[in-house]
Amino acid sequence: MSPFRKILIANRGEIAVRVARTCRAMGIPTVAVFSEVDREALHVREADEAVAIGPAEARHSYLNIATLIAAAQRTGAMAIHPGYGFLSQNADFADAVAAAGLTFIGPPGPVHHAMGDKQGARRLMAAAGVSVVPGYDGDDQQDSTLAAEAARIGWPVMLKPSRGGGGKGMRVVRSAAEFAAALAQSRRESTAAFGGDVMVLERFVARTRHVEVQVLADGHGTTLHLHERECSIQRRHQKVIEESPSPGLDAAQRVTLYAAAVAAARAAHYVNAGTVEFLLDPEGRFYFLEMNTRLQVEHAVTEAVTGLDLVRLQIQVAAGKPVVLRQEEIVTRGHALECRVYAEDPDHDDLPSPGRILFFAPPEGPGIRTDSGIATGSEVTVDYDPMLAKVVTWGRDRTESIERMRAALARTAVLGVVTNLSRLQAILAHPAFGRGELHTGFLDEHLADFSRPQPPPPEALTAAIAALQRSRLSSKGPGAPTAADPWASLGAWRLA
Amino acid sequence: MIRLLWGETELEVDPRAAASLDVRPLGPGTFVLRRGDAIETFHCVRDGDAFHLFWRGAAYRLEELGEGHRAAQRHATGALEAPMPGKVIAVRKAAGELVVKGEEILIVEAMKMENAIRAPRDARVKRIAARVGDMVAPGAVLVELE
Repeated sequence: MSPFRKILIANRGEIAVRVARTCRAMGIPTVAVFSEVDREALHVREADEAVAIGPAEARHSYLNIATLIAAAQRTGAMAIHPGYGFLSQNADFADAVAAAGLTFIGPPGPVHHAMGDKQGARRLMAAAGVSVVPGYDGDDQQDSTLAAEAARIGWPVMLKPSRGGGGKGMRVVRSAAEFAAALAQSRRESTAAFGGDVMVLERFVARTRHVEVQVLADGHGTTLHLHERECSIQRRHQKVIEESPSPGLDAAQRVTLYAAAVAAARAAHYVNAGTVEFLLDPEGRFYFLEMNTRLQVEHAVTEAVTGLDLVRLQIQVAAGKPVVLRQEEIVTRGHALECRVYAEDPDHDDLPSPGRILFFAPPEGPGIRTDSGIATGSEVTVDYDPMLAKVVTWGRDRTESIERMRAALARTAVLGVVTNLSRLQAILAHPAFGRGELHTGFLDEHLADFSRPQPPPPEALTAAIAALQRSRLSSKGPGAPTAADPWASLGAWRLA
Repeated sequence: MIRLLWGETELEVDPRAAASLDVRPLGPGTFVLRRGDAIETFHCVRDGDAFHLFWRGAAYRLEELGEGHRAAQRHATGALEAPMPGKVIAVRKAAGELVVKGEEILIVEAMKMENAIRAPRDARVKRIAARVGDMVAPGAVLVELE
């Protein structure tokens, strides 16, 4: 018996596709929503119904609460899955969904209120006895107050928008002289991305690891942890590679960490799936960083090592069912890695690289999973996050999952936009990565100037020209590809 | 010879060598190269005057090179172009002002990230061709330096 007759997925890209797949497995029809530029997007095709929700600009489409709820009501959807990003951690949305008589697949509004902003979360955790990074989370947000607090904390200081995530608006400030300009820029980015500019300050600790714990609470008194993920490989404070288990923890640290995560979730009266993020400093001390009140991008890593389907669990909890798993039944097996494939140019300062995907072939093979939001022909626009796909590999141990990931990345063909695949390959090949010596400054330390891209080998160019010659010939024959096929047309080659 | 541009590097291919290869299309964008018993699958798609190639785990974008190609023009002028489509959210300099290498001239926002357009060298600003709030296309000239 399905818990819901129909579910609307209030998101786009790979996560909307991924949620639709679990719904299909559970026999629940899905409703996709799409903005004007996403009419042909993959997530629309993966759903059973699709509703237009407005223009490209997210503010008027994927972030439009009234439109989304109306779409659910019109299509008869009983529940809304928010994915990650967009409205997933928006308390007003969770409240509005409930007020409309629908079910929000995630924690209820008050949990988002309590944990959704870093300021409130820091205060709540400190009160619950979970250690937080030394910093400032006060209500006085005058520039002069923040500057004085930053000086008190000591340089360098990390500036963080209280709302939001994804590294947007976050920056490290190294001295008082840089502070005013950095604060202004962070406030602007925060306002644009999250609609508010309250900032939190934290002491910046170098060479820390980012370790997080997946939690699951059912609202009937059961709060479980689903072990940890390490997400130390980041650029611009955004995760690039995640893995589970963390290569940086011993058994005793794990026990402490899991207990702190469960305590944090209980203090927040948490319900549904969530993630408690911690900093692990070089001395092995943990500090609460924030709680993500939603499904994480990197949840697939946990799925790979636990064998659980987190979206299925989210749906069951949202339907009010108790979780029948016991903590000791949640065991991990082997090791999993996730690489995020972005439409960004690693050779040019990670500039976004929008455009049409002219060819896409995801990798396949034992222990490989690809969650992608694109297909050949998809348009990558500047309107949304540039993440294209996640490649996840599982192995019996870390060495095997790295081996499989390296093979998988070498078979991930994305043509038409520039991607970070070359950098992902360089990270996986780095000896320090192989040894598990990870920290959030890993890229700056080891790969700041990795990108000396090699030109294509002569044999590859000759083969490419041969391919283009052949496709020109074949396009003249019967059954020729249509003009829309990007490989079908060939300009006049100068023969000299 | 066929002349190609990869980034700013010129490369050459002998079209007769290409014509003699056993390369067959498998489907849109996918080809198989056979050399004796050796077999290599690769991907290649056309994109206007350029094409994209996926070969042994790496992707390349190559441009067919005519006379007086664009890369040369780009370097000859003092024009700074929008690297991507986006919105101009700040303009820090005005025409006539001096800039030092690396200094921010304006900021373009795309995909919610701010990207600074910086001076590639010490120069005087000749013209600022964008205003705050402008939506700019990739390749649009934003700044001219003397």
